[in-house]
Amino acid sequence: MNLKLVLRVVGRVSLIEAAALVVPLIVALLYGESPYPFLLSIALVAAAGLALSLIPAQKHFFVREGFACVGLIWIVTGLVGALPFWFSGYFQSLADCIFESCSGFSTTGATILVDIEALPKGILFWRSFTHWMGGMGVLVLATAVIPSMGIRSHYLTQAETPGPVFSKLVPKQSQTSKILYGIYCVLTLVETLLLKLAGMPLYDALIHAFSTAGTGGFSNRNASVGAYNSFAIEMIIAVFILLFSVNFALYFLLLTKKLREVLQSDELRFFLWVVFGATVLIMWNTAPQYSSLAQNFRYAFFQVCSIISTTGFSSLDWGAAWPAFSQCVLVLLMFCGACAGSTGGGIKCSRVLILLRSVRREAHHILHPRSVEVVRLDGKVADESTIRSTMIFISAYLAIILAATLVISLDGCSFTVSFTSALTCMSNVGPGLEIVGPAGNFSAFSPLSKLVMSLCMLIGRLEIFPILVLFSRSTWRRG
Amino acid sequence: MDIVIVGVGKVGFSLAEQLVRESHNVTLVDQQESALRHAADTLDIMPVRGNGVSVCTLEEAGVDHADLLVAATNSDEVNMICCLTAKNLGTRFTIARIRNPEYTSSLTELCRNLKIDMVINPESATAAEIARLLRFPAAANIETFCRGRVELMGFRLQPQDFLVGKPLMNLSSQIKRLSLLFCAAERDGQVSIPNGSFVPQAGDKLYLVGRPDSLDQFFQVLGRYAPKIKRVFITGGGKISAYLLAALSNMGMNLKVVELNEARCRVLSETFPAVTVLHGDGTDQDLLDSERLAESDAFVALTDRDEDNLITALYASQQGLSKVIAKCNRQNYAGIARSVGLDSVLSPKFITASYILHVVRGMQNSQGSVMNSLHRIADGGAEAMEFTVAPSTHYLGVPLRELKLKPGVLIAVIVRGREIIIPEGSSALQANDNVILISRSSVIRDLNDIFRAEAAPERGAGGAQ
Repeated sequence: MNLKLVLRVVGRVSLIEAAALVVPLIVALLYGESPYPFLLSIALVAAAGLALSLIPAQKHFFVREGFACVGLIWIVTGLVGALPFWFSGYFQSLADCIFESCSGFSTTGATILVDIEALPKGILFWRSFTHWMGGMGVLVLATAVIPSMGIRSHYLTQAETPGPVFSKLVPKQSQTSKILYGIYCVLTLVETLLLKLAGMPLYDALIHAFSTAGTGGFSNRNASVGAYNSFAIEMIIAVFILLFSVNFALYFLLLTKKLREVLQSDELRFFLWVVFGATVLIMWNTAPQYSSLAQNFRYAFFQVCSIISTTGFSSLDWGAAWPAFSQCVLVLLMFCGACAGSTGGGIKCSRVLILLRSVRREAHHILHPRSVEVVRLDGKVADESTIRSTMIFISAYLAIILAATLVISLDGCSFTVSFTSALTCMSNVGPGLEIVGPAGNFSAFSPLSKLVMSLCMLIGRLEIFPILVLFSRSTWRRG
Repeated sequence: MDIVIVGVGKVGFSLAEQLVRESHNVTLVDQQESALRHAADTLDIMPVRGNGVSVCTLEEAGVDHADLLVAATNSDEVNMICCLTAKNLGTRFTIARIRNPEYTSSLTELCRNLKIDMVINPESATAAEIARLLRFPAAANIETFCRGRVELMGFRLQPQDFLVGKPLMNLSSQIKRLSLLFCAAERDGQVSIPNGSFVPQAGDKLYLVGRPDSLDQFFQVLGRYAPKIKRVFITGGGKISAYLLAALSNMGMNLKVVELNEARCRVLSETFPAVTVLHGDGTDQDLLDSERLAESDAFVALTDRDEDNLITALYASQQGLSKVIAKCNRQNYAGIARSVGLDSVLSPKFITASYILHVVRGMQNSQGSVMNSLHRIADGGAEAMEFTVAPSTHYLGVPLRELKLKPGVLIAVIVRGREIIIPEGSSALQANDNVILISRSSVIRDLNDIFRAEAAPERGAGGAQ
């Protein structure tokens, strides 16, 4: 592998991250808080980034370098994000800082903080800002900002953009990245404005808009969105969560006035049906608890949106308040996740759809052994190689969750806790069940479990392989 | 520019590669997933899978706002329909690859009816190139500018040539008086632009640009003035051969063709009664010897197999033929071929791609200074271009010695009215001059691109640059 070039790209991306750290620095200064954690981080990251980006390297850049770059950049990003937390002194250990930073960039939203409201505003802003950057992707941002990362920059964005198939919107990768970020920024701004109008303070509105945009789930309130107890705010957030968990390519199609293709999207329809179905099931199950249908809908709809999009906001402590069936529905939604090409995590609706259709084909094939059938997605034939990689992806996904469960169970917590915390980290959701539920947090785990969960979050965000190849010896071998 | 290329074959791919390098927005359309994926993995393009004649696919590829569509699939008919559909959907300019000779006779009519703006036929383009080389046997390559008033030739130095071992500035006044310029030199695959202190060595390939009569005189002085070619020996009787025979037969040459397929021999013999058509294997040395290959003036290897072409060409050049040309589709062999002394190795896809590139650059320069022609020399290591100086060009009237040009750019010839000027330090550009430039590395799209931008930030300092 061309390690020098990989390090050089890592260095360049670090410079962008140093620039991003200026935003929370400004916030800290505005609120009269100590700028010291941010200044120190910026100095460190910028110095390291500059040193790395000056490494002379050959321009040999292929798949191997691309994947290794993505994996390394995300691990470095997780560490960079942890610096301000560490320097702020509000966190107990380095493992906590790394967990919080990985949780931020991977848009998980799981926290080790017991009392969030005690933290300075600058640090809380950085927490949510990592969601916003991690949601669309650090590398997508890098390819949009740095004009020539090298002609093969699509290897980078390809590995970072979730979904079984990667497609560009326009021929040039840098242009595609710009369009994606443009849509992303506009949607975030609109949400901030609406939340402000619905009565949130501007600072809270920004924090929640960032968390929604990245489908992360960090809030600056201990009780999450439930703290505002406002119907309007919950509905605005729920609708925007859905908007951010839809494939961004569809917005581009809308902008280019191809409404028919948007309506034909199988994945979008499947996603909306699942949201509808899960909402109805939970409403039915929790109906006795609520006096009116509106209240019933309000909580069920918000929770379904929050979980399927892998955001993880909560408007009530459903881990305690709701019956087991409803909790089970939500856990299943954590597997499914959002749409491909969105900022959400999980297995992704399109993969679930391909899985279901392949199962149906297999059943049909058993009854008609000579039948030849193709699996379709959005009216187009899905490649056999796409189907194969989807199956492998889902199997590997489950295997990693189980392996992580095993490690976490060393801490002595129940199976439910170990399993749902592994699942929620892998799917980038945030809350699990019992002590890691919507009202709980991850502070009780050992440093080992926290690091394993941090890794799971990155693996889940990058869809397994960019991180896995870092553990393969042939990645590092010369030649 | 937004460019759609239908068909990711040899031509499509190498064209896309070059266009991406010049930062155009390129969309590739093909039915084959594997070919598309390979292209998408190596180039920054948008792949669209589907049939090039389907409106749906073409719309997805964005032909409605495309500036240019190149149809380069295997099928002429698909290419024609593709161009017609694209034109109706709103593409500004369409290029179709049409290779079947049967269409050639009615081509103008076909183009008008199908609204094809340009037809490119790789075989006939290659044949035209070969015919040109046979007309000027002294050079390994030859390009013309300003309607033939300026020529660019490449030739390889032999150890006995008087140029070897002496710096160019010490050349005799006889040579210096000639209206020509050494504009590029290729040594061990590296292209450089020679200055006065350049010392030529045996084996270097030198490129000369200047007036045709000066070039002729130069080759006479060099003792390399080959007699006119009379007898041409061709192996392979495919499409290129057919076009070549048609081009050469009215030049009074004595032509011999060896072809393996008997039926094809018959067809060739019917079409070209004056040509000696032989049925046999072109790689068979006995056959070549018995047909007196050694007494021919030129040998052209045009069979389907690159390897056969190179080996037989090698054999012919050992027999002492003054001009040996081989067709080689695969670019990989070009370097090897050069190292064993075969200079005229032509690749149809390369020729086709550079034709189309020429059109693209011309379209792009419709404002600003106009690029009239573009030739890639030294296997794409350098480019020779002709521009017309526009009134908007910078530094008009400033002596060249005061201009700061980008590294690797040379102003080779200025054509002013009837005058052909080999520029010196005191020469200056004027509006409406035609200028011939040699550029080694940087992509020049406008005449103003040759000037070094003062205090401008360095462009493209990216990770993998």
